[in-house]
Amino acid sequence: MAGRSDAGHVMWLNRNITKDRSDRRTLSRLLADFFNLGSGSLEGWVKRRFIEKFYGSSPHPFVLSLQNPSRAVLLGYVVEHQHFLRQWVRSCSYIMARTDEMDVVSYELDNINTEYGGVGTGQPSHYELLLRMGESLGLDRKEVFRMAPLANTREAIRVWDSICRDDHWVEGMAAMHGLELIANRRLKGEGASIGYFDPAILKNEEISDQAKAFLREGYEADVGHSEQALGLVEKYSRLYGNVDDVQATFLRSIYYFDLYLMARLERSRQFESS
Amino acid sequence: MKVPEKGCAICQATWGDYWEEIEGQRMFFCCDICAIEFRNMIDEVKKRKGWKTVDEIKMTGNYRGRECTALYQGKKYGFNIRFDSKGGIDLFTERA
Ligand SMILES: [Fe+2]
Ligand SMILES: [Zn+2]
Repeated sequence: MAGRSDAGHVMWLNRNITKDRSDRRTLSRLLADFFNLGSGSLEGWVKRRFIEKFYGSSPHPFVLSLQNPSRAVLLGYVVEHQHFLRQWVRSCSYIMARTDEMDVVSYELDNINTEYGGVGTGQPSHYELLLRMGESLGLDRKEVFRMAPLANTREAIRVWDSICRDDHWVEGMAAMHGLELIANRRLKGEGASIGYFDPAILKNEEISDQAKAFLREGYEADVGHSEQALGLVEKYSRLYGNVDDVQATFLRSIYYFDLYLMARLERSRQFESS
Repeated sequence: MKVPEKGCAICQATWGDYWEEIEGQRMFFCCDICAIEFRNMIDEVKKRKGWKTVDEIKMTGNYRGRECTALYQGKKYGFNIRFDSKGGIDLFTERA
């Protein structure tokens, strides 16, 4: 494929394996190394690949903007993320519907509650906190609901929907909950060059309390969300013998996640002058 | 136009086999996306500077963003550029 210049394949090789044209033997060795878990865990591999892509020497541009976010960046986040979260519930529901493992069902139920359902008035969901963040910055939720997703968001959502609907539910779990690593503050101790945002902004007076509440929630919940899920993925992928599929699906998911994060930035430009 | 001796004119990869004529010159790219990026970049520089063509573009960085210096008849123009997934210009800022 790379010899034939298929853009998707060539780009993937360039960014993940090597930029140098290699013969079949060398390439298969390099690929084997890339997927090899060695003596480590699948969870470790997933984190390593995630860190490389989003928190390596060139962190993702959205993460760079979120270090000390402008109003426009936060609003771009609100508008695109509403669509992400609505897909989130659908994805988790597919996983629940397709598994018979009770620990997975309990995990997904709890996740859906914190992300979408909320628990009474004392504990609003991430979705509700997101909308409140938008309102605190002058963007009414009715306005938010009216805005259709950008093309990159739409494409990513389509991919996540099809993974969770059609692929094995363990792959679905890796694809979705692997993404919660983005806000996992422990990654900084595991090789990430920066965090999702600079925790100092939680004390910054220029950032609205509602924005802080939203950011703090992910900051607190997603260490647990991502690591617990990856533990389940580890356990069941070994049981079902589909570790390879899980790895491939995870890589596909983070490819689209990268585009989705770019869509948040693209959207934020719309708010730059307002 | 002066391009790297080896590899794709955008990303230096030696994979692939995609050729396109840009500014009257046959150039090697690893894939069609890199070719689109290169063409868009040259067009943008010509438009902003009013240059007839470009002699060379020096580049560092990676797909997250590239720092470039365009050269034309002894003149220099510094800019940073980032492309979207289809090869369009996502961000273009001039460097003093
Ligand atoms: Fe979460
Ligand atoms: Zn290239």
